[in-house]
This record gives sequence, structure tokens and C-alpha cells, in this order.
Amino acid sequence: MSLLEVDRINTLYGDSHVLFDLSIRVEQGEVVALLGRNGAGKTTTLRSIMGVLSPRDGAIRLDGKPIGGLPPSAIAAKGVQLVPEERAIFGGLTVEENLRIAALTAPKAWTFDRIYEVFPRLKERRKSAGRSLSGGEQQMLAIARALIRDARIILLDEPFEGLAPLIVRDLVAVARDLAAEGRTMIVVEQNVAAALSFANRVYGLNNGHVVFEGTPADLTANPGMARDFLGVAS
Amino acid sequence: MKRAIRYVPEGLVLLTLVLAPLALNPLGFSTDLLTRVLNWGLIGLGFDILFGLTGLLSFGQAAFYGVGGFVTAYLLVSGAVGSVWLALLAGTTSAGVFGLVVGWFAVRRIGIYFTMITLAFGQMAYFIENSPLSDYTGGENGIPGVPAPTLGFGADAFRISAGLPMYVLFAVIFFLGYVLARRIVRSPVGAILLAIKENTGRVAMLGHDVRAYKLTAFVIAALYAGLAGGLLGSFQSYMPPDAFSLETSGQLVVQTIVGGAGTLIGPLVGAAVWLWLRDNLQLIPGLAMLWKLVLGIAFIVLVIGLRRGVCGEIVHWWSERRNQAALRAAEARTEAIEAHNIDAVAGEELRRRDVALSLAEPATGDGEVALEARSLARYYGGLRAVDGVSFKVRRGSIHAVIGPNGAGKSTLFKMLLDEISPSSGEVLLFGERLTGVGVSRAAQRGVAKSNQLNQLFPNLSVRDNLRIAALARGRGPLRFDLLRPADSLPDVEAQIAVILDQLDLVERADTPAHVLAYGEKRRLEIGMALATSPNVLLLDEPLAGMSPAERAATCAFIRDIARARTVVIVEHDLDAIFGLAERITVLYEGRLLADGTADEVRRDPAVQEAYLGGLHAHEPA
Amino acid sequence: MPSWPVLISQAFNGLALGSLLALVSSGLTIILGTLGVLNFAHGALFAVGAYTAFVMLQYTSSFVLAIVVGCGFMLVLGFVLERVIIRYFYDRPHEDQILVTYGIGIVLVECIRAGFGGNAQRVPVPSWGQGATQLGFLIYPTYRLQLIAIIAGLLLALYLVLYRTSMGLVVRAGIENPVMVGILGINVRRAFLLVFAIGIVAVGLAGMLYAPVVAVAPDMGANFMAQSFVVIVLGGLGSFPGAIVGGLIAGEIISLTSAFNSSYSEVMLYALMALLLVLRPQGLFGTEGRA
Repeated sequence: MSLLEVDRINTLYGDSHVLFDLSIRVEQGEVVALLGRNGAGKTTTLRSIMGVLSPRDGAIRLDGKPIGGLPPSAIAAKGVQLVPEERAIFGGLTVEENLRIAALTAPKAWTFDRIYEVFPRLKERRKSAGRSLSGGEQQMLAIARALIRDARIILLDEPFEGLAPLIVRDLVAVARDLAAEGRTMIVVEQNVAAALSFANRVYGLNNGHVVFEGTPADLTANPGMARDFLGVAS
Repeated sequence: MKRAIRYVPEGLVLLTLVLAPLALNPLGFSTDLLTRVLNWGLIGLGFDILFGLTGLLSFGQAAFYGVGGFVTAYLLVSGAVGSVWLALLAGTTSAGVFGLVVGWFAVRRIGIYFTMITLAFGQMAYFIENSPLSDYTGGENGIPGVPAPTLGFGADAFRISAGLPMYVLFAVIFFLGYVLARRIVRSPVGAILLAIKENTGRVAMLGHDVRAYKLTAFVIAALYAGLAGGLLGSFQSYMPPDAFSLETSGQLVVQTIVGGAGTLIGPLVGAAVWLWLRDNLQLIPGLAMLWKLVLGIAFIVLVIGLRRGVCGEIVHWWSERRNQAALRAAEARTEAIEAHNIDAVAGEELRRRDVALSLAEPATGDGEVALEARSLARYYGGLRAVDGVSFKVRRGSIHAVIGPNGAGKSTLFKMLLDEISPSSGEVLLFGERLTGVGVSRAAQRGVAKSNQLNQLFPNLSVRDNLRIAALARGRGPLRFDLLRPADSLPDVEAQIAVILDQLDLVERADTPAHVLAYGEKRRLEIGMALATSPNVLLLDEPLAGMSPAERAATCAFIRDIARARTVVIVEHDLDAIFGLAERITVLYEGRLLADGTADEVRRDPAVQEAYLGGLHAHEPA
Repeated sequence: MPSWPVLISQAFNGLALGSLLALVSSGLTIILGTLGVLNFAHGALFAVGAYTAFVMLQYTSSFVLAIVVGCGFMLVLGFVLERVIIRYFYDRPHEDQILVTYGIGIVLVECIRAGFGGNAQRVPVPSWGQGATQLGFLIYPTYRLQLIAIIAGLLLALYLVLYRTSMGLVVRAGIENPVMVGILGINVRRAFLLVFAIGIVAVGLAGMLYAPVVAVAPDMGANFMAQSFVVIVLGGLGSFPGAIVGGLIAGEIISLTSAFNSSYSEVMLYALMALLLVLRPQGLFGTEGRA
């Protein structure tokens, strides 16, 4: 039984049908990358899993039990944690308060010290308001909020978007460590190289359909497919 | 025949006004009560244009009711003006001027801010009447002894006395007010006000001056309230200070919801319910104190459940009955299109269309360069979304802007029509500076945009959606053509017909936009931009979410458009772009990476690196 | 130019009125900030608070006990209103929220009228608050001084709840981004329920504490509600510090203006709001964006 199964969901966003009978599965300890052009439905997939959007039909199962239709808070309680694209740091709260609110309902929350080992930078800024953080620090905090909850499966939406290359390198290193420790993740990313450097498996999405499934090696061996759904000119 | 049907509501209202004193008297409606109902109904006509039509909820209408009433009463009682009619005119005008002042503040803000501002100004007017101006207004005592109006002059003059003559006067004025309000609703201004309620941002983007139209609705509402206020003093020969109170504004809102917002006649019906309950429940022992409680509970139930109110439900039921078959058919068609994920045009042979539109050329349109960006930059805090980008769009060409996610395309695009203003740099349209004019004046100058996410007027028909767009450049940003029907401009109607045909939406012309299939909505989105007869058409991801067949059809359509118009396009589908565009500008991390013909860009190593870089180099960037 | 003693005494009046407005507005602003609902029943709930004090004092001889029981009543009323009506309006347009809360206000006021009649009632000043206090430079009614102190204490308590407790953390985060709070595993709707009830208790307390100072009548709250709208526009929608500072400014403007010319006191308040809307529409502590 897979840890997470998304089974033929259809999700509508406002008036447009975004996901069409989309199915993916994620095994325990696996890192899955969702790739595709803008508007392919990657973010919508993550939001559907988290319960922020409700699929019109189809099923989402965690440990074989359906979680579709539950509110985000109930899905988070089961150990699924979205790190959204816009990061959604609480700007009026300090770094520590952002971590505290994340840990509030977690049964086995990490200590602050353990978080600060992963992100030493956050320790330096722990009394700073969220809105005063740089983009990279905000992203660290966003990931830290998922880690402190000791989430079983972390959904990373564009974690490297708009960040300087050095920061991306640091964050990729963190992601690799997490993958090596066996943390289950789904990552959506435009920076394909960065995503593939720690992913075990890849789904390619186009127009709300899965058009590719395989390993990173399969993908590099298939430049036609890459061109079609990554939007690469040749 | 069709013309006659249009005036059925007027006929019904007239009939009701004539029959009411006879038919409703036995039901507990005294003639005085009916006159009061008409007075509330008159304020309601203006309020419904503001709230029901335009969607602006004001809790300060008492201010205008009071201003109209007290100015009229003071002029008459002080002897400054002898004629009641002249005093009414002065009172109504004063209310309109005050409405202009309050509205100037209020329309700057939306939603709950708007409501709070109107409420606060209402309170302010109340306190001004009550204290600083109490020498004129009588403060808490009001102004007694307001004379009734007369007809004729000198010894022959007929004084309109209380009872039936007063009812007839109010009925005549209400009827005239109703006919006028109906014309306003059906005018181009009315159409634009309704569109503002549906999607304010799009109305501005099409080139209408949204604030000025909102202010217009506000002043119209103030004028109606002022006239009703002036009549109140004459009717009861006393001008009470509670005309200014918050309760008056609240009562108007409740009556409008109960009777049905957006129907013009709703506030009148609501007032009849309110006043009837008050006058008749008070007579029943044990209920005397409870009539307003009953009304309050009924109001809550209406807000929770039957949002349309009494008249709204009737109108809804009637139009359902009449249009149900057509609506079901339209929905069935949508389902058929969506189920097969194809579009009606997919099977058809792609025909070549002539995109001939009125308003072809701008006055200054003789240069070779249609649109020019000069060192455009936009910073968000420390983030440089766009960082010094310059390029030129040749007139009559298809020019593409591409780049990986986060390259700054959307921000750049929004600066091209001044939707957001650049941190530095400028945009020139045919050599004239466009930056800083604002999005609606940019549209008037000839730049239109179709959006990545549809920005339609969902409850308006396809034809009405296009009409809002087609009215924009022909009429200019603001025009007070309040009396002519919206569909009476031949140029505009011809334009709509042409575009409906080009979009293959002729059969869907009377379908509400929200019923359309996704691909049809995308076409309508582009069609609305096109209907403004732009000189430069900006297309933001026009192919997003389309099926392959729809993509091919849309690409052919864009090529047709480009034979008459300059087109700038942002799109992720690079195959489509290389097939369409003559010149391509490539952005990367906010900077210009390349700018040239499609072939030059295709061979540019920097571009290949930017797109392919990630995939070949396995080390992260 | 009024004399100094008059000005100082008016400044104290402004402080008393201002702290009261701050308490009323803080309830309004946290409900608006967290739930997104502008509570048009706020004025009616102020009156409900005052009448609660009136009724409780009939049964208990202790003002303190009356207030404690009254708070319990307001809390329950808040829970009931949120569960039965308000929660169904979170996803509806602002206009609907305004209309339904306005309707609730009508019903509450009419319930009071049905129960107690339309005439004003008097609530006695508690025994420990009678008389006047000699402040050296001026003699001031004791209860009004105590009122300032009590409300300061209440606002401090509210501050501590908001800034020092987990519940407050959730509320402050919820004002910024309720969806993200839910994603972090917190049942936002339950937090909304609590926030609404706390806001109702705050305005109810204001009504109870003010009852001995004014005539208690069914529609006594309407003007306070209008003034508290001005306060939250001044302070910035959804800002708790803004409500306190805005409340004090509003109170002082009303009181000090009336030291010069009482007929302009309220007018000045609204004129200031108009000015601020043009110059700084987001208010003193607000940021553009929400509402």
C-alpha cells in the first residue's frame, strides 16, 4: 500500500477545469517531483492533496484511508504538510512565533534547537518579524514550519522560486539531507536540475493530465518528452 | 410589438398607482400611508440604482434625504422662496451637490470601507443639522409649518391638500421618477454600472472611468433622496430631524432587501410591508411593541435565504419560466463541448476571417513603432521583478515575450498598459508617453489586454459582455447618455455582430457568460479586448488550458487579428510562439536576454542555456 | 479660549470616553480582522451589555458579581450568534455580512424594547465608586477615574491574551492568513468562534461599565457603533493597537472640541476621518490589502 494515493481526481478552479482524472502515488520514504509548464496543474494537485481545494470527484488516500473532502486542518493532523508557493509566513509574528504556531497541534513536535541545527540562520533571526526576513529566510522558515510538525509527507511548492543561486544551493542541500533521512516529499519546481538532484521519481504534467512517469534518468533519456512538457525550445 | 413589451413594467406600475387607493384601502392602507410608501419608494429608486444596480451599499442615504428636506423647508418657512416647486428644486439640487462631495470621498474605497464612510458622513450630517445649524433647522425640533405646493397662480391657485390630492401628486412624481430610472438602467451608463457590480477591474481595463460612473450613481441616488426629503416636509407640513438619523438610512436598506434589490420597484414594496406592519400590528394588543421585531426576524431570514426579496423572486420566477428552456439548452451544449474536450470550431475548416473593425487607426499612428518600452524596471522591496528592459514592437507585427517562470513577463505586461506603474522607465505608444495615464486611459488610447485568468462579466450575456467593451472607445471614458437605450448605437451593434461572428459565438450571443464552456470563455476574453478596437492588443497566455484543436483555432484567429492590429503575446507554448511571432523578446530573471527574429532567438546560445541549462547540467544552479 | 481647569477636566473626559471607545472598537476590529465580518450588530450588543448590568443589579447587590455574570451571558450570546448565523456568512459577500449583522442588531434592540419598554433606565453608580476624588488640580467623579483604570486593565488583559497566549497567536496569525493557519493543523473555525465571542464580551463589558454614567435606552448603542467605525478607520482595519490609539484620539477630539464649542464635537470627529481617508486610507496602524 502506498503512503499517499491520488486516484483519478478532477479539480476545478473557479470556472476552469484544471485537473483531469489525475492519479499519482507516493511511497514511504520517496521524493516525487511534479514537473510541467505553468498552468499544468502542479500547484492545484498539491492544494487538492492538502484539502485547500476540494476535488469534484476521485479519491485521495493516506495509508489507504480516504482524506478527500476533509478540511486542511484535519489533513495536517494526519501528517500531510504543504509549504505553499507564496510561503505564507505570518509577517506580524516573529520567527519563533511562526514556529510555535506550527508546532501547536503537532503530536511529536521538534524542539526549536533541532530546527536551528537545520537552519542556523533562523536562530539568528528568531526575534525578527516574519515580514522583515529576506526571501531565502522566509523559505527556510516555511520549510521549518513543516519540519517542526515532524510531518510524514511534505509538499514543497516551488521552494527555490525567486531565490539567489547560493541560497538555492543551501536549500537543495537541506532537501537532500531530508531525502537521505527518508522523509517523504512531493516537490513542484521549475528549476528542474535542482528538483531532480534529490527526487527519486518524476511525474510530468500537462494540461491537468499526467503525461510522463519515471525516474530522473528516464526523463533525461527522453528529450522529446522533456521538450514537450518543460517547454524547452530546440 | 416587441417595443410595447418593453414598457410592460411601466404600464403595470401606472395601473397599480391608479388602483392602489381604491383596492388597498380595505386592507389597512390608508391614503396617507400610501403617500408615505411612495415617499420611501422615491428615495428607493435612487438607492436601487446605487445598490441594486451598481452594488454599492450605502448606509448614509439619510444625509441626502435630510439635506433635501431641510433646505426645501427652510427656504419656504423663512420666506426666502415663495414657490414650493422652486424650493423643491433648490432642495434637490443641494442634496445632489452634497452627494457629489460625499461621493467624492466614498467612491475612492470599496466594500466595507465604502459602507463605513457613507455611514460616518450620514452621522456627520445628522450632527451638523442638530447643533451648528440648529438656528436654521430648529435642531431637535425640526421645522414646522412647511406649506403644501400649489398649482396655478394667484387667486386661481389650487392648493394640494392632504389626502387624495397629495397622493396623486406623489404618485405622479413617483411615476415620472420610475420612468426616468428605468431609462437610466437601460442606458449605456446603466449597462456600465451593472458591469461595475459584476467585475469592476475589467470595466476600468476596457477604458471606462469607473470612479466617475460610481460617482454618477451616487449623485443620482442623492438627487432622488433629496427630492423625496423635500416632498416629505410639504406632505406632513413639518420637517422632522429624524430624517437625518441612521435609522432612516437603515430602514431604506431593509426595505430594499425585503422588496428586492435591483428591481427599482423593490424598495417601494418593502416600504409598503414595513409601514403596513407598523401601522396595523400596532393596533393588535400584545403585538404593539413587537412589529419591528417581527420585521427584523423576517429580514434576517430574507438575507440568509431568499436574497432576491419579494419583487426579485417574482421577476426571477417569471424569467425562469420564460427562459428556462433556452438556458437548459445552453447548459447542455456546454456539457457536450466539455465532455468531448473539443470545440465547435475544431471540426470545421479554419476559415480566414477579415478582422475589420471601426476605429482602425489612432491619430498619431504613422510611425513604424507601435509600442516601445524604455528601460522599464519594477522593484518589489528588494526583488527586481523587471530590471531595465527595452524593446520595440513594430507596427502590424506579432511580437512575443517569453521566458522561464519568474522571468518577469507578467509584471512587464502589466506595465505595458499601465496596470501597474514602473519603478523607472517608460512606455511609449506611437511615440507618446503612456506610462502614468492609468489603465482606463491607456485603453482609450488604444491598448487592450486579454487576461491569463478570464475577467468576464459572468451574469451578463455574451452580447452584453461585448457591448461593455465596444462602448468604451466610441463613447470615451465618461459620458452622460442617461436617456438613450444601450443598444441604440449602430456602430457599437455592428461591431458586436462582427466580433460574435469571428469568435464563433453567434449562437451563444444570449447565453450568460458563466454558462459557456472553458474554451468559449477564453475566446470571449480575447473578444472583449478586441471589441474595444485596440491598436495594440496584448494577449496574456491566450492558449492556457486549451485543447490542441482549440489551440490551432486560436492561433489562426490571432494571425487574422494581426493583419489589422499589432499583437503582443506572452505564452508558454513555445511551439505556438515560434509558429506565430515575427519577433521575440526573451526575459530571464527580470532582464532582457535576447531580442530578435524568431530564428535569431532560436539559435541564441544564451536562450538555449536559460531553457535547457537545468536539464543537462546535473549540478544545481 | 477656555480656562485650563476646563481643558484638563475635558481631557479627563476624553480619556474616559476614549478608553471606552477603545474597548468597543477592539472587539469590532478583532472580529473584522480575523473573521472578515464587519459587525453591524455591535451597537445593539453594547446596549445588550448595559441592560445586562441593569438586570443583574436587580438580582445581585454586587456590581462586580453583576458584571461577572453579565460577561458569562455575553459569552454565551456570542457563541449562539456565531454558531446559528454568523458562521454561514464567512464565504458570503461583505454586503451580506453587513446586512445580516444589521438585522441581528434590529432584533436585539427590539427584544430589549419588548422586554423593558422604550424609556431610559438608570443604573446606579456602585457603592465603591460614588462621590468625587480630589486630584489636587481638579475634582473628578470617582467612578469615571475607576472606569479609566478598569478599562485600561481590561485592554491590558486583552493584549496579554492576544500577545502572550497560544490562542492569541492563532488569532493574530488568523488576521493575516486564515487559510495558512488551517494548513498548519489548527481548526480555524473554532478559533473564529472564540474570537467572535471575545469581541462580543468586550463590547458587552463596555456597555455594562458605561451603564452607570449614561441613560440606558434600547438604541443607546447606535452612536457608539458609528464612532467605533471611525476609530477602526483611524487605527487601521483589523489592528488591535490601532483600535486603542484610535479610540483615545477619538475620545480626546470629541471632548476637547466641546471645550471650545460643544456643537462641533462630533462633527470634528467625522471631519478628521474624511481627511485621513484622503491622506492615509490604510489608517495609522493598518496596511493596505485586507478588506
